[in-house]
Amino acid sequence: MNGIEIRNLTKNFREKRAVDGLDMTVPQGAIYGFIGENGSGKSTTEKCICGLLVPSGGEIKLFGKSYKDPEVRKKIGVLIEAPGCFPNLSVWSNMKLQAANLGIKNEDEEIRRVLRLVRMEGSASNKFKNCSLGMRQRIGIAFALLGRPELLVLDEPINGLDADGMRIMREILTELSHSGVTVLISSHILGELEKIATHYGIIRGGKMIKEMTAEELSADCPTYVALKAGETQRAEAALREKFARVQSDGERGEVRVYGADASAVTTYLYRSAGIAVSEVTTRKISLEEYYADCMKEGR
Amino acid sequence: MNAARNLREFFGRLRTMLKVDLLRMFATPTVYIMFGISFAIPVLILVMTASVGGMSEGGASAATFTNVWQAIGSASANGGTMSMDITTMCNMDLLFFLIAIFVCLFVGEDFRSGYVKNLFAVRAKKTDYVASKTVALFAAAVGMIALYFVGAMIGGKIAGLSFSAAEAGTSAGGIVACVVCKIFLAPVFISIALTLAAVGKQRVWISVACSLAAGMLLFMTLAIAAPLNAGALNAVMCAAGGAMFAVGLGAVSGVVLNKTNLV
Repeated sequence: MNGIEIRNLTKNFREKRAVDGLDMTVPQGAIYGFIGENGSGKSTTEKCICGLLVPSGGEIKLFGKSYKDPEVRKKIGVLIEAPGCFPNLSVWSNMKLQAANLGIKNEDEEIRRVLRLVRMEGSASNKFKNCSLGMRQRIGIAFALLGRPELLVLDEPINGLDADGMRIMREILTELSHSGVTVLISSHILGELEKIATHYGIIRGGKMIKEMTAEELSADCPTYVALKAGETQRAEAALREKFARVQSDGERGEVRVYGADASAVTTYLYRSAGIAVSEVTTRKISLEEYYADCMKEGR
Repeated sequence: MNAARNLREFFGRLRTMLKVDLLRMFATPTVYIMFGISFAIPVLILVMTASVGGMSEGGASAATFTNVWQAIGSASANGGTMSMDITTMCNMDLLFFLIAIFVCLFVGEDFRSGYVKNLFAVRAKKTDYVASKTVALFAAAVGMIALYFVGAMIGGKIAGLSFSAAEAGTSAGGIVACVVCKIFLAPVFISIALTLAAVGKQRVWISVACSLAAGMLLFMTLAIAAPLNAGALNAVMCAAGGAMFAVGLGAVSGVVLNKTNLV
């Protein structure tokens, strides 16, 4: 059974179509990285899943049931944009309210558990308005984790987190995923996402342009040889004669040769053009680069 | 059997949500400010009008408070007619405007703070939300009416006004019935303001303005529905009206929340 299954989701805001016939499948227990530019429809999709926006069309199923089913809704933990807390109340009081909303029996124990998870147990008595951005994000994550949800919908949860916060976040999500919790996470920090996601969905202009597993992404991301030489332009021209895909990266001052062996490239360059290579490394295309390519293809 | 189970489940859900609403209401300063204003209104009205002495610019005597019960309501003459002066306008009925403002602020804060995101992501039933808000706000309204009553007593004492019910054209029973009628009428204003707050969402000023406008339209009928010399029939009619408004407009609010975007 899939954690989330969306078919032909459409959401219009007056004349503007924010989500346009989107299909999405998030298997149960997956960490699904939902990627797209600003305004591509990520948050709108997530808000529709959480029942905060009324879809203009299409179908949303959570664990095989309608997203409106009250029993299904109890299984969701949400962090959309910022945590919805009352600024004049303490972190503890805000969490008490949500725990009561969820009908949690051992409220205090559960609140202490989630605050400990996000390393915020010492700040429980702070008023929410006095919390920093990073603290607020951690509180938001703690909110989402209250009541041990089976589905987490997290919109930009890493924003504002420091390195330690990001590490904690990674550990929590990985652990949850291992215990069968489904996680839908959108973020622009693709380097972080790459470390945890098991599935990816790339959205552009309200449409899902690619859905794949981490393995498929890995297979789709070729390795390349990155080399630095004294005469970059001449080296690039020489390599183009022999290798099918050669690209220069002006910013880094390097030439990239895709699908080739490092020793073959350096030997060829020295023998054919007499160019000595000062630095050579073999790398794999990152999610960030893959995503940038996807976006370029679209344009 | 199904209906009974549904009802039982509804009350179960209502209980948890009501707990949250009451916790929240009494943890924020707004309700105490409203209680303070409810207490201060009659004190200020009675003390200030007494100190002015009821003289208009031309030297003619203007209608003013002579009896403390006038601050609660105005007695209707035969045929349900009553004169329109300061004593008919400045009484407990003013409280309904304050209740409407409080409803809009309380509900609007849910949307402005983003609390609805936490709430409606895990709770699909909008009717639970409306029912819980209505009950919690009704409790606050009863508190405000009680404090107004206490304020009127204290204000009347300070201003040295008469406490004679007969002089005010009513009896002790009539005064009790009048206050009970006002309590029963509170859900009318709560449900109107709640519906408008559901429409306005985080735009609190829109719901406040519309609620006040609706209150203006109903203001005159309040004096007739709950006069100072009210009887059991007034109380029954007000209770029925309050319940019908709460259920009817509560359903409308539920539909509004179900059919519109919450964020």
